[in-house]
Amino acid sequence: MNWRQIYLVLKREYLTRVKSKGFIWATVLVPVGFAAFIGIGVFISIWESDVALQIGVQDETGQVIRLLEQVNEQRYIDYSDIDSDSLRVLVQQDAITGFILITEENISGGKNPELIHSGSGGMEFILSVESDFRQVLREEKLRRADVSEEIQRIYDARISLDTRRLTREGEEQDDDTFFLSIVGFILGIIIFISIFSYGGYITRGVIEEKTNRIVEVIASSVKPIELLTGKMAGVGLLAITQFGVWILAFFGLSAIAGPAALHFMGSSSSPMGAEMAASEAEIPAFLNLPTLEVSLIVYFIIFFILGYLLYSSLFAAVGSAADSETDTQQLMLPITAPIMIAYFIMFHAWRNPDSTLSVIGSLVPFFSPILMVTRIAITEVPFWQIGLSIILMILTFAATMWISSKIYKVGILSYGSTATFKDLLRWIKQS
Amino acid sequence: MDSTLIPAFMKTIEISDLSRSFGKTKAVQNVSFDVEKGRIFGLLGPNGAGKTTTIRMINYIMPPDEGSILINGYPVSPMTQKMIGYMPEERGLYKKMKVGEQLMYLAQLKGMKANDAREKIKYWLKRFNAEDWHSKVVGELSKGMSQKIQFIATIVHDPDIYIFDEPFSGLDPINSELLKQIIIELRKDGKTILFSTHRMEQVEQMCDDICLFNNGKVVLTGNLRKLKKEFGKNTLLLEFEGNDSFLDQLENVRINNRSTNFAEIRILDGLQPQEILKLAMDYSEIHKFELVEPSLNEIFISTVGEDNIKNSGVLL
Repeated sequence: MNWRQIYLVLKREYLTRVKSKGFIWATVLVPVGFAAFIGIGVFISIWESDVALQIGVQDETGQVIRLLEQVNEQRYIDYSDIDSDSLRVLVQQDAITGFILITEENISGGKNPELIHSGSGGMEFILSVESDFRQVLREEKLRRADVSEEIQRIYDARISLDTRRLTREGEEQDDDTFFLSIVGFILGIIIFISIFSYGGYITRGVIEEKTNRIVEVIASSVKPIELLTGKMAGVGLLAITQFGVWILAFFGLSAIAGPAALHFMGSSSSPMGAEMAASEAEIPAFLNLPTLEVSLIVYFIIFFILGYLLYSSLFAAVGSAADSETDTQQLMLPITAPIMIAYFIMFHAWRNPDSTLSVIGSLVPFFSPILMVTRIAITEVPFWQIGLSIILMILTFAATMWISSKIYKVGILSYGSTATFKDLLRWIKQS
Repeated sequence: MDSTLIPAFMKTIEISDLSRSFGKTKAVQNVSFDVEKGRIFGLLGPNGAGKTTTIRMINYIMPPDEGSILINGYPVSPMTQKMIGYMPEERGLYKKMKVGEQLMYLAQLKGMKANDAREKIKYWLKRFNAEDWHSKVVGELSKGMSQKIQFIATIVHDPDIYIFDEPFSGLDPINSELLKQIIIELRKDGKTILFSTHRMEQVEQMCDDICLFNNGKVVLTGNLRKLKKEFGKNTLLLEFEGNDSFLDQLENVRINNRSTNFAEIRILDGLQPQEILKLAMDYSEIHKFELVEPSLNEIFISTVGEDNIKNSGVLL
């Protein structure tokens, strides 16, 4: 192996791609998309309660409307003195969104109240009205039953499960299992997608050299193994560049998103702006996420690189054996199958990170890049499992690289037809 | 590699007992030949005779199963690769790369330093009236233009040895002529050139020495003039006007090149040229009657025998 040659190949592979429009767009658009996602989220938080959806309430009992006004003064308007035909006209003219007739039946008889509305507001609105009425009617019923305050409190209490995680070190932590499950799922998918896309870069690059017929010119200067290594390193560096930009953008945007959101919400000139700034001056819930551990990001990078190495040499072998890009399908199968299997196991591992299937799956070298990262994100994976999977991946990489370089060596100089698996076996034996 | 370090008498390429198989196909069998410094050496034979495989082994692209190859006295290695400028039969360039970047890349892979390479690239682009192509993407160039870039890529690192595999196939007439000039010029500078072809007439014009391949074996090798002399003046060139049916009556001859008023006739045992002349005069008016050395094509056929020629349609 001559490092100067590898470096020259690496440099070409990297520079020609990093300057390409497609790469620049993808690298920039993902953070822009992420920023847009946050921006839209903030925007929605600011404006969501601002839409004035009003409901006319014709209350025969005279009790319910007062309670409703306490719940949401803007939404519920007392129209008890207007008859229902006029209310219908108001709805038709879009003066109000809908109306509800409350009768004695609704309180003592157990009859459901009926909302007649124009349809604007959607699901969210209907569910919120429903919950308001459930609360108000229950309150009124309890009041009439003349139960003690204590019992009222019992009814009002909302019980949920608070969870805290006890680590092996004996530390109690806020439990972010739900959040981390989503993170693990997303990281798994990122690795899944990136193995395919960077592997695809390699396959296409190899085929391009074959169809352009430059590969023999190159082969008269560079050993195939040097060409292969330089290619894999160049595209790998490209991947690291792209991820680097994305990770920096992700943390940068996350860091400024909270304060920025507060700023906009504080200075928002919406009718409720002042009130919101005073009473609800906190970061919107979806931005208020637990922080990711540095070790998770380190493991993500380690497993991504190992997974990339493991698969990219195989992608190169497929490229060298194919005669055109359309011919790769059949040869791709042995590569895509394990990635797809890992992907499907991930849907299980995401919910049951410590099940036998998840543990064994995450130790299988071809599955580790996806499954181990998902598990590390969600649960506490014993170090021996992480270490073992890293060692197994390195050993497997040595084997795939050995096989791939043999196929590659013969494949790049074979023109005219796409090789079969039988041919590949012969190539491995002959060289 | 400084060419002054290599003694002039040395054989530039020495090939002994070279063999290489692909599965059951014996592509090259016990091939031996030498290429002397400062000469143009032609590797001849029909398609599939083993020329490209031999050339790939010389270029250290493919290892032989058996035998040895010495380049300027060194066994083939990455180091000997740098002594050679190679233009393969299957050739091309990166379509999306700029001409200058591409030549720089290929020159550096051959061991050149960036500064030297930059100068050489400039020189050759100027030489081929292509200075303003430097920042053009190869995909935008015409076929003829990119062929010129291919030549530059082959010679830019100024090696001692040049190997062209079927160099004239696919070249337009202008570039064919240009390449011939380059080859002749390189020879003047004391460089060694080896090229392969299945078209015999190209060899006759340019080569000093030849090696004939058939079915993976060398059937004849040596100095072209000497070989021709050895075969003797037994070929008849006949130009005539009139009825050519006498040609069909001739026995013990092989007619290699026949048209309405011309025939190249190889005289086999027993027949006297004068007898042919007599017969011909009965049928038509003779404009030219000349006994010459056989063409390379004829030499090849008579050496391997008509039936043993692979893809003879391509060759003849």
